[in-house]
Amino acid sequence: MRIVSDIIAYCSTHMPKFNTISISGYHMMEAGASSVLQCAFTLADGLEYVQAALRAGLGIDQFAPRLSFFFGIGMNFFMDIAMLRAARFLWHKLMSRFNPKDPQSSMLRTHCQTSGWSLTAQDPYNNIIRTTLECLSAVLGGTQSLHTNSFDEAVGLPTDLSARVARNTQLIVQEESQVCRVVDPLAGSYYVEALTDGMIRESWKIIQEVETLGGMSKAIETGMPKLRIEEAAARRQARIDQGLDVIVGVNKYQIKEDVSLDVLEVSASVRDEQIARLKEIKARRDPAAVRQALEALARGAESGANLLDLTIPAIRARATAGEVSDALEKAFGRFVATTRCVSGIYSSEYGDSEIIKTLRTRTDRFKDREGRRPRILVTKMGQDGHDRGMKVIATGFADLGFDVDIGPMFQTPAEAARMAVENDVHVVGISTLAAGHKTLVPELVRALKQEGGEDILVVVGGIIPPKDYDPLYAAGATCVFGPGTPVTDSANQVLNALEKR
Amino acid sequence: MKPVDPQTYIAGVLSGDRRMLSKAITLIESALTTHQEAARRMLSALLPKTGAAVRLGITGVPGVGKSTFIESFGTMLVREGHRVAVLAVDPSSARSGGSVMADKTRMEKLSIEPRAFIRPSPSGGTLGGVARKTRETMLLCEAAGYDVIIVETVGVGQSETAVASMVDFFLVLLLAGAGDELQGLKKGILELADALAINKADGENIDPARKAANVFELALHLVQPASPRWTPPVLTCSAREMTGIDTIWKTVLRHREVFSASHELEEKRRRQAVDWMWSLIDEGLKERFVHQPEIKKQLPRILREVDRGTLAPTAAADKLLFLLDNESYQ
Repeated sequence: MRIVSDIIAYCSTHMPKFNTISISGYHMMEAGASSVLQCAFTLADGLEYVQAALRAGLGIDQFAPRLSFFFGIGMNFFMDIAMLRAARFLWHKLMSRFNPKDPQSSMLRTHCQTSGWSLTAQDPYNNIIRTTLECLSAVLGGTQSLHTNSFDEAVGLPTDLSARVARNTQLIVQEESQVCRVVDPLAGSYYVEALTDGMIRESWKIIQEVETLGGMSKAIETGMPKLRIEEAAARRQARIDQGLDVIVGVNKYQIKEDVSLDVLEVSASVRDEQIARLKEIKARRDPAAVRQALEALARGAESGANLLDLTIPAIRARATAGEVSDALEKAFGRFVATTRCVSGIYSSEYGDSEIIKTLRTRTDRFKDREGRRPRILVTKMGQDGHDRGMKVIATGFADLGFDVDIGPMFQTPAEAARMAVENDVHVVGISTLAAGHKTLVPELVRALKQEGGEDILVVVGGIIPPKDYDPLYAAGATCVFGPGTPVTDSANQVLNALEKR
Repeated sequence: MKPVDPQTYIAGVLSGDRRMLSKAITLIESALTTHQEAARRMLSALLPKTGAAVRLGITGVPGVGKSTFIESFGTMLVREGHRVAVLAVDPSSARSGGSVMADKTRMEKLSIEPRAFIRPSPSGGTLGGVARKTRETMLLCEAAGYDVIIVETVGVGQSETAVASMVDFFLVLLLAGAGDELQGLKKGILELADALAINKADGENIDPARKAANVFELALHLVQPASPRWTPPVLTCSAREMTGIDTIWKTVLRHREVFSASHELEEKRRRQAVDWMWSLIDEGLKERFVHQPEIKKQLPRILREVDRGTLAPTAAADKLLFLLDNESYQ
């Protein structure tokens, strides 16, 4: 909060036209939040920032017109149009309590991005159509600016072709379709107005709940928003795994053949080049000036000086972002998110189906045979914070009768191996979304061996291009699960592998 | 699990091998009769090597910050040169039998310390079993050379009594201003506590924490202390900001000094050994009961009848116990 209010304060005097912050709900939607949750938590975040800026002594009209939002738009077409309309209404209502004189202070301006999570690795050209629909939904909802995703997002990083198609999706909607010529074209539609009204009411309830907890910062400390979002994600996965929510090409109308796709190869040398550049900069800069600037920043963080005022000279002296954040960490410490995992959600949404019963019988039998339940460590190694898949797997597997250990975020392979050995799990499940699997999996297998855990199986799931499957098997992975694998399927295969040992 | 040779485990545990200790704990936790036999033999061999550690129990309602406290407390201890083992019991779901264990996500620093060992265990639905397993696991860790053993338990239900009966020092963590003074804990828990600590005493919360400490101090006056030499102190700490943590450790050491000098520690442990025997007998009887062939046959039907209300619980219990008594005559 301090960083945000300092940025707002600095900009309101030095660069009044700058869009100070982007108040984001996108990451919450991608983590599984429903449109109601996204709307409510994002606005509650915004409210918290506004209050911090007011406490820092700014007038509401000095900064509020430059705040902007960032929403994620998914495949529920009218729902997300209603979400954007509701967010405008609610932001106006929230800001009115501060009595702004400038009407722009209570206007919600927003950027939108189409959902990456909604895109599939199966039959990936379908993603062009998904992105187009989401793009249109954002435009009809009245977004001020837009980001469309590339159709190969579920497989890898964009190629030149996929990036061009993504950009052209916007250009076609903007310049050919004529839909941008009218403001709020769906106003007055009974359905959209009713949805908007429902969205306003439901979001308002959650915003009030957050306020009773003492605002969004306090709510985050209790873990409430994260828990709600993960609960929504587990429910959604259970609905998809049963085919109740249709995803074409994944749980309905699947195709047999593989659709080949060019995937961008990021060469390993990129990392070395970046390290070399960093070394060069560090060699060329004036170390005394850097040290002085960083010390001033650390002192300012303690004393309450404006952080941006002190960060700019540090960056000018070529301090790295890591060094700046280390200086701040000295004063502030590091926030550790409360990990509370929901349980019972996946199976309750699934109902007592045959599949769930069969899998539970199998884990029970495993226990009768081995003396304990199958135990799995779910880990997300490396520098990627997308933990939706890992959480869904954890709660889903526990609901199927597994004992599940969750690893801390950003584990190294050595740390994960030690945890696997210490907790004596049967399997390590790696969740990977940021292309780290080709180095992380072999390193984990090696580390397991070193710790005496060569009998522990390794399975991998997440965004994995098809051509990486074989190298992963060769590196020692027992199972590889691509995006869209139902939780029940992966549990089934893990049990098969355990029984075959 | 492959057939196990207790000898390998014994040697492994004594040499402090992490993998061997972890496997040995699995053996203790196993529900298989063959494993339990091997575990008993292993334990008998290791028992002479146990007893030197400080045994510490920590409880508190969910959200009080137990794991964060252990993270700070344990990290401080390993940096002072101690070897710290943490045993945490996580509740299993009654419906699926499975569990989620996220303790280490809140013990990031401690979990990578070379002198620390953290083992979360699923409760598996049977409370008596957990107590036995945790106690025996504690002994294994002592044999492996850990000199501070921390047992973490959720302070709702029966588990805190079980944990208090296996440790030297029982610490209850509380929060300031969480409404009801006992915050959902059982009233009897104050009688078990050797110290109370109000956690999250940081920022705006420092004053409320001090006030809460006063309130609890008054409440403790109404409780007869377990020893005339020790009045449980009420402390404040912030696990997040690492304040007050060292005072708690000093309190543990002072308690140990006082109780060693008065031979109460010895006496406490002897009493605990007797409790342990009785709980093993309880567990063994129950085990024998449910595995007796005739009872196994009749139990489902009798349970159904009691459930429907067609058979009185008293009559049902009489009938089943009669079957156990007459096992040898059938």
